[in-house]
Amino acid sequence: MKNNILIIGGGPAGLEASAQLQRMGYNVILIEKSPKLGGHLAKWDRLFPDSVQAEEVLGRLLKGAEGVKCFTDTDVRAINRLDKSYNVRLTNGITVLSDAVLVASGFDLFDAVKKEEYGYGIYDQVMTNADLEAYFKSGSDRRIEKPGKIGFAHCVGSRDEKSGCRSCSKVCCATAVKQAIEMKQAFPDAEVFCFYMDLRLFGRHYEDIYLKAQKEYGVRFIRGRVAEVSENYDGTLLVKAEDTVAGKPLKVTLDLLVLMAGMRPSASGKAIGDLLEMSVEEDGYFAVRSGIAAGQRSPIPGIFLAGAATGPKTLPETLADARAAAMEVDRYLTEIFPDAKNYKQLVRERW
Amino acid sequence: MVDFGFGLVPSSRINLDLFDREKYEKLVAMEPDAKICMACGSCTAVCTAGQFTPTSLREAIEDVFNAKDDKALEALKACQLCGKCSMVCPRGINTRHLILSITKVYSKK
Amino acid sequence: MTPLLYLLAIQAADPEVIDRIPSGYSHFVIPFTVGITFMLCWIGVGCVRLLAAIPKADRIKFWKSLLIPKTIVKNLRDLFGDCLFHVKIWMRKPLLGYMHSAIAFGWFMLIVLGHIEVALFVPARLNVTRGGLFYPIFYRYFVWVNPGHTTLRGSFFFFLMDFFLLYVLSGIALAVFKRFRSIVLGMRHTTKPSLADRIALYSLWLIFPLRLLAESFTADLSGGSFLTVGVNHFWHFLFGDKLWFTPCWWAYSICLGLFFAAMPFSRYMHILTEVLWILLRNAGIQPNHPRKGVAEAEIYACSSCGLCLDACPMNVQKKNLKYSSVYFIRFLRRHNEKKINAIADKCLMCDKCHALCPVGVDAPALRRAQRATVNDTLPYDYSYLPLAVPGSILAGETTATLGTLRGGTGASLGDASGGAERSEAVERPKVLPGTVSNNKVLYFAGCMTHLTPRIIKSVEKVFKEAGVEYEFADRDGGICCGRPLMLAGKAEAASKVIEANKKLIEGSGCGTLVLSCPICYKIFKEEYHLEGIKVVHYTQFINELIASGKLKVEKSEKKIVYHDPCELGRGCGVYFEPRAALDQVGTLVKAAKEYDESVCCGGSLGSLTLDTRDRAKISESSLENLLAGDPETIVTACPLCLKTFSEAVSNSRLPIKNVAVKDFAEVFCR
Repeated sequence: MKNNILIIGGGPAGLEASAQLQRMGYNVILIEKSPKLGGHLAKWDRLFPDSVQAEEVLGRLLKGAEGVKCFTDTDVRAINRLDKSYNVRLTNGITVLSDAVLVASGFDLFDAVKKEEYGYGIYDQVMTNADLEAYFKSGSDRRIEKPGKIGFAHCVGSRDEKSGCRSCSKVCCATAVKQAIEMKQAFPDAEVFCFYMDLRLFGRHYEDIYLKAQKEYGVRFIRGRVAEVSENYDGTLLVKAEDTVAGKPLKVTLDLLVLMAGMRPSASGKAIGDLLEMSVEEDGYFAVRSGIAAGQRSPIPGIFLAGAATGPKTLPETLADARAAAMEVDRYLTEIFPDAKNYKQLVRERW
Repeated sequence: MVDFGFGLVPSSRINLDLFDREKYEKLVAMEPDAKICMACGSCTAVCTAGQFTPTSLREAIEDVFNAKDDKALEALKACQLCGKCSMVCPRGINTRHLILSITKVYSKK
Repeated sequence: MTPLLYLLAIQAADPEVIDRIPSGYSHFVIPFTVGITFMLCWIGVGCVRLLAAIPKADRIKFWKSLLIPKTIVKNLRDLFGDCLFHVKIWMRKPLLGYMHSAIAFGWFMLIVLGHIEVALFVPARLNVTRGGLFYPIFYRYFVWVNPGHTTLRGSFFFFLMDFFLLYVLSGIALAVFKRFRSIVLGMRHTTKPSLADRIALYSLWLIFPLRLLAESFTADLSGGSFLTVGVNHFWHFLFGDKLWFTPCWWAYSICLGLFFAAMPFSRYMHILTEVLWILLRNAGIQPNHPRKGVAEAEIYACSSCGLCLDACPMNVQKKNLKYSSVYFIRFLRRHNEKKINAIADKCLMCDKCHALCPVGVDAPALRRAQRATVNDTLPYDYSYLPLAVPGSILAGETTATLGTLRGGTGASLGDASGGAERSEAVERPKVLPGTVSNNKVLYFAGCMTHLTPRIIKSVEKVFKEAGVEYEFADRDGGICCGRPLMLAGKAEAASKVIEANKKLIEGSGCGTLVLSCPICYKIFKEEYHLEGIKVVHYTQFINELIASGKLKVEKSEKKIVYHDPCELGRGCGVYFEPRAALDQVGTLVKAAKEYDESVCCGGSLGSLTLDTRDRAKISESSLENLLAGDPETIVTACPLCLKTFSEAVSNSRLPIKNVAVKDFAEVFCR
């Protein structure tokens, strides 16, 4: 018997999980709210630490998920829990009877407008990491015209109680280092500054790109959070921070300021979570059965989680998480789900 | 024992053995936010008084931890209590009260 | 013949009342007499002590004020309006107003009418040596009505006395009801009474029913009207002719005695101290200490009515009730230093309790004075500010910063230390032609506004659109206005930054100073005394630009709610201009509470100890208050409110994300 599995979210986590589950012989239905699969990955140009083309990675993921029933431009309208399965009504009119649901709703980028003192949307020369990736992909942005001095502000909407986000977004440090290098490659004469609180370059080869940025590209790393940005008459920016290593307040005139917007729980994911009555933790991400031992199981039997829906993750972590989730789904559908007589007891013992 | 000169010139090294636990507890009782600074420097960066004269809450907090009470007071004495630092602190520290509390607890008077 | 003598003559000929007890004394008056003597001595000594503690100049000012006709009129108006009729409560909460005025005005009338009766019918008894202290109070006990000699005049007083007794009783009934269901009278929270309060309160509740009982028992002897006589008939119907009225008069006297004895230690002291406070207040004497001198009159004028409990924005959380002004004042009375400081530091200084206080007790000012006792002497040092010698202290950064002001306006502040050249190098506003002009507008953004660039950008856009010739005083940063220091109780320090700023602004040669921050606006307006410079808030300035046709705007259907920033509304009384201007571009909808009842956003600089979590709770309730009219846009005119509401909207768990939070000037930008 082929079980139906509904996967919500067509980003890297959703794609990878569908590929795995399909290989295991399940009937996978993947829905994506936007017109295109790939999530944030589709909007990115190159990936840290090795500057692999995002397109290439996405291409592989899409190839793996070939054959999966896939609905784009589709959201969940209503969900009913039946005895063991879920009756899911989609916005495209289709109703799916699904034995397991995998929520891979991912993250939203922090809306940098909310960090008003940085002037995104107010000053002309302020952009976000996503804007910069779009520039790398398209090659044009009105804000970028031979910038002489470029600043990267780390932790925008991350590690900031004022923005409603205490946690670290994990990927911004490495992204900033990568983008700093790329900007240096594009504009070798430019001076590049990274304003960081702590450089969290924990992954394999991450430290290498940090070293490369220092040694080969002369990127200046300043330990201090950007605190105030004002605009000069000529449209350049006056950025204020403290060089906490020197112990002195600092200001610098920049032609471009890139805000490393962090990860926030996906708003549309939250809406689906509400339909399913899934609980979220204080940080806004979905709660899991156990952070260490069962990071892909939600507290509700039959509902699984993968990727950034349970907190910020790097791309390799997301893919690993998706594979783990696929294994969990498989275990559930073979060990617990089929035993109708003992279902409740099995759930109590093994969920 | 041979005196290598430390008696003449006091060491500038931070000496954590001099840390006054009692005073610190008093400070924390007055303003618990004293414990949660992550030294990002935002407060110092925006400081109104800091434009004119060295003023730094971040440094003052560090000085308190490093048993440099006089330096802490020195780093805050120009403060105009304008509150800009409280607006930018990512930890949401009640900076103005912390400044007043440090001065209250550590000033000699 | 004067009317009084004329009346006396009539009485001598044909008395309407005859002494029932010729001595004019009975033992039951002792409790009352002891109680009231104690209370009068207490307040007498208190008044002398209090007036002695006021600085001499103020004391002379006070005595003089009692002779100024204008002040006399104001005093009379306030004494009747505030003490007796409780007009301020009537206007906000009619039922509560009725309750307070029934007890206060009713009782007052009973006392006055009682004395008039004695004066009319047994005038000799008004003499203190002949029982003048208690006789008018227990008048009915001591007299007969002379059967067959009652006149219309006598019946009229009988009627009035009964009428006011009923009036007071209705107030007491409401007061008892309020103890159990205060919300019906418009109060969510009520004050927790202290022990003395309870003694006084319960005696007060009993005084008037007992009076009715006592007077009704004697009504067939000493006369009465619809109430007392009616009740008297009822007693006769119940008990026949066996009426024991002595115990009732005893009980009545004991309750009065208890009440007066407890009065100095209870909230009811305000009945008398309020009078002194009103006189002092109207004389224009400011407290300079949280407890001594004028402040003492002020704290004893507090009636503990508890209206400030519901007013206080912190009280969205029940745990904060203890920080309300009523308890602050209670602890001031008790000299409980530790609690006083904790309460003084917590307050947001939004001034709502002051605005709503029926007796006008300025609790925020007292809190500020209390903060000063602790903070004013802390060792801070502002010698770096450009104070006495212009230019000499300016160096490096300072010169560059202040250079914008100086450079722009013809180097009025001195040509010191090569600062001028240096400031050339730094970003400096392009000076418009015509250097020093009195029409020039100087825009001062203030510290906080530099963290809300939206405001600066919008103000500049509006100025450009309206063709305003302006200079941006603190584009590169400036000196704090001094208000935050003031709020922290550091008046001495505040005066230093004020002096420094004043020098810079007066030196700029501008004619109008525009401020976008209400915190700055308040202190610039009240403390700076800038010679020949008009100080306006940008809401007023933009409204003027629209009214004069310089700024073109288009009306839209957009539903806008305006939030009154504390310092602008209650602080400076600016309510009209922002609304008038907003009405030109959108449709104003009402918030649940507006104007002087608007709810602080929670971001106020006033509080020293309130933490982020507590502040967030206040912000959320303030936001809810604004959303009552279902607006699309929230407009405010303060950088702190703007930031607070922006954060509150985006962090809120309520489904309100489609509401935009905008700055006042932003609304007028195209």
